[in-house]
Amino acid sequence: MGVFVFLPLVLPLTAWPIARLAEQRLHPGTATRLLTGVAGVMAVCSTVCLALLMVVGTAQLPGNPLPDGWSDPEVRAAVPYDEIAGRVAIPALLAVAVVCAGTLWRHGRVRRRAHRALAGLPGTEVAVLPDETPYAYALPGGARDRVVVTTALLSCLEPAERRALFAHERAHLTARHHRFLLVVQLAARANPFLRPLRTAVSYTTERWADEEAAHAVGSRRVVARAIGKAALVSRGTPRPTLAGFAAPGPVPRRVAALLEPAPAVRNWPSLFTTVGMATWAAAVGTALSAMSSANSAVTMVLILHAATPL
Amino acid sequence: MTDHRRRPRRRGQGELEVQVLSALREAEGPATAGWVQDRLGGDLAYTTVITILTRLLAKGAVTRERAGRSFAWTPASDEAGLAARKMRKVLDGEPDREAVLASFVTALSPDDERLLRELLGQPETERED
Repeated sequence: MGVFVFLPLVLPLTAWPIARLAEQRLHPGTATRLLTGVAGVMAVCSTVCLALLMVVGTAQLPGNPLPDGWSDPEVRAAVPYDEIAGRVAIPALLAVAVVCAGTLWRHGRVRRRAHRALAGLPGTEVAVLPDETPYAYALPGGARDRVVVTTALLSCLEPAERRALFAHERAHLTARHHRFLLVVQLAARANPFLRPLRTAVSYTTERWADEEAAHAVGSRRVVARAIGKAALVSRGTPRPTLAGFAAPGPVPRRVAALLEPAPAVRNWPSLFTTVGMATWAAAVGTALSAMSSANSAVTMVLILHAATPL
Repeated sequence: MTDHRRRPRRRGQGELEVQVLSALREAEGPATAGWVQDRLGGDLAYTTVITILTRLLAKGAVTRERAGRSFAWTPASDEAGLAARKMRKVLDGEPDREAVLASFVTALSPDDERLLRELLGQPETERED
């Protein structure tokens, strides 16, 4: 026993190297699935761990509504500093619940409102809005997926580049990228150590759609040009959060990637190169972390179950 | 709560705006609220039509001018223009919208911009070797 019970809370740190390497080295589709899976497993384990700490640490505190049996001395012996950990776990768990619920609620609200805004238009897949602000979005909506694009953006693109733009947005919709994004977003809320995975997945989903678009229009350069033009024409609104950020942002990296040859779909790099070894080591490390994270969570559930007459 | 017939009307607030705007666009020249009400059929109250028109006025989708004791209304944008305004309101009101809607591009820092211009400005022959 011992500190292992806290492992699921900090093991997400071990996913940082694979997040970094996967977005650069793997096919964006593979990277998206891998990183989303890892983030989801680790977030669930971390939350389960938090919930169990709370139960174990606080069930015997006076005035607690939980039955005393839920906090058997044997169980508490498995948790170091059980009372402190338990007390800390309460606000932490509450915070996780509140922000995750808030995220889900906002997600639904934006989608509903955006669909409502388009209600008066003919039900075509592509909605072109007369607006001088250039933007384009994929708006998922079950049976009514829509691509929203403004005239300002379309007017700066040539026909082939427009096709690239539509292919990109359609790729988001057909591969249901918003689900991956929602999972990593919830994961990042559940455990802040998972934030780099969210950043990585929002990049890899864009790359994934770029690759699909390149396949659909048959030219990587056209997609690169479409992204570049769209970014340059909408540069008027820099996000304050990005100010002073030294590393190249996602858009130049996407364009640079499109100017390179297409990544192979099954391109786990060979183990016998430096990059390959790093990627494999990071992937194996992350898998082990995720498993031990799950192991810790399951062990705690078992201990609790064995020691308490539930 | 027993009156279930009211519920679809509440849901369709935005759709009503679209209907009123479409009716107004079918008019030849400025039209009164009464004309719009007739045009849309009997189930809308006169005050509802006025409310919707006022809301459209606030959104800049219609204009009005005084004609005798009432107003004559003229459409200032089409349905797509109204949708564009509403969409902007949704997007502007959501600071974290990137989290929900996958945007085609994100904002560029000045360094990104320079880098991007370099990448795109490169002649094709240079990269294809």
